[in-house]
Amino acid sequence: MRLPPFQFLEPTNVEEALSMMNARKETLKIMAGGTDLLNRMRFRLIEPAFVMNIGKLRDVDGIDIGENETVIGTNTKLKDIARSPLINNKFRAIAEAAFEAASPAVTNMATIGGNILQDTRCLYYNQSGMVLNGLERCHKRGGTICLAVKGGKRCFSVCQSDMAPALIAFDAKCVLQKKGSTRTVALTELFTGNGVTPFAIGADELLTKIIIPQPKNGVGSAYRKLRLRGSVDYPLASAAAFVSVTKDGEVNACRVVLGSAGASPRVIDGRSCETHLESIAQKAYDSAEGIDNLQMPGAYRRKMAGVLAKRAIKAAMDRLKEGM
Amino acid sequence: MSEMKKTAITLNVNNETHDIIAYPNKTLLEALRDDLRLTGTKESCGEGVCGSCTVLLDGAPVRSCLTLAVAVQGKKITTIEGLRVGEKLHPVQEAFVNHHAIQCGFCSPGMILTAYALLKENPTPTETEIRRAISGNICRCTGYAKIVEAIKSLAEEGK
Repeated sequence: MRLPPFQFLEPTNVEEALSMMNARKETLKIMAGGTDLLNRMRFRLIEPAFVMNIGKLRDVDGIDIGENETVIGTNTKLKDIARSPLINNKFRAIAEAAFEAASPAVTNMATIGGNILQDTRCLYYNQSGMVLNGLERCHKRGGTICLAVKGGKRCFSVCQSDMAPALIAFDAKCVLQKKGSTRTVALTELFTGNGVTPFAIGADELLTKIIIPQPKNGVGSAYRKLRLRGSVDYPLASAAAFVSVTKDGEVNACRVVLGSAGASPRVIDGRSCETHLESIAQKAYDSAEGIDNLQMPGAYRRKMAGVLAKRAIKAAMDRLKEGM
Repeated sequence: MSEMKKTAITLNVNNETHDIIAYPNKTLLEALRDDLRLTGTKESCGEGVCGSCTVLLDGAPVRSCLTLAVAVQGKKITTIEGLRVGEKLHPVQEAFVNHHAIQCGFCSPGMILTAYALLKENPTPTETEIRRAISGNICRCTGYAKIVEAIKSLAEEGK
């Protein structure tokens, strides 16, 4: 299927990109790796007047590991994150999420910023025009019904980012820039929880950096994911776990972040007592939305949210013991 | 609908420079097949899943169906046609032939380029590394065993 028509823009630095965005607002879509955007355009889910390729913005590419925080540029390829020895060593769940996101040829193209800001998906929305023409307009297509949940008053489309849960597990922040101003917000604040408009980001704002604070003392982390085919598919359920200990080796934080459990990642925050696996699994199950709108039944995906939470915590604890 | 203008696009494909005039919505896959007549690169799923359209961009395998031609100017593109050495097949191609790693042949260009990129980066990959590297290249004849054998034979030879 051919792509719809558009005008192509290719800024060479952030300032230029921000000016282009400021002038064109909603009519412009940003292309990072293009692996998600081009498919949506091909299906005519979006038909932007302008496509701005940010692939040439070298000033927001790369991993900078500092003493107090690690900064990852929005253009950094998932492959580079998955392969970075330092990310693997310090932020294992993040490296695992990047590795698991897609097959090698896709992670060679896809970027961290693009992965975080990819639109939510639903079986009743991510279809070609031929299929959609035979369906009533749902919330996400400007209608008033939900095709996945009978009588659904809102959109139940699902966050498909692998990177967001892993980054949120580490309490990551992100830098949003627009012409004349910059703001830094917690990554969790970037998600609205609303499937129709899943991101709290202005049309003229560019996500430029992701900042991961350096955890104090010992930390263990892991990312686990359910999908149809081991190498190429979007997550059907996923869990990133983060466990940290005090100087004395006592667990003082235990966090699980669920992906594919709703329109935004779901955070389950706990303290030492909640390292009890079953209670976390139950909370994950309770927190996840089990809707029949991805390739596997919602009830199964919901159960797997609990199972994956358990597996991720277990792996994180094991790594903590190994001193990783 | 926005007004779209044709633009001059310069592509470096298999060490040759090609100039085409095309709309910006042309994918690299379309440019290779329709403009440059390099039909070794195949289109199958057309949405980045199957790996048939794999080409190398500065040596790394990418999906040409998810790549805009206009966005890869200045990069080195390698297609299956660029692999042969003179009139001879490249050792990776030969290994695929010798190990009967080709059935219908539709996935072969992408599969061979992926194997080539893997061996270039890691001349002695383990079977796990081979399987991971070709995990995004789908063979619907399911001839994976022979494909892995072919790549392994090169890994053992360190070619």
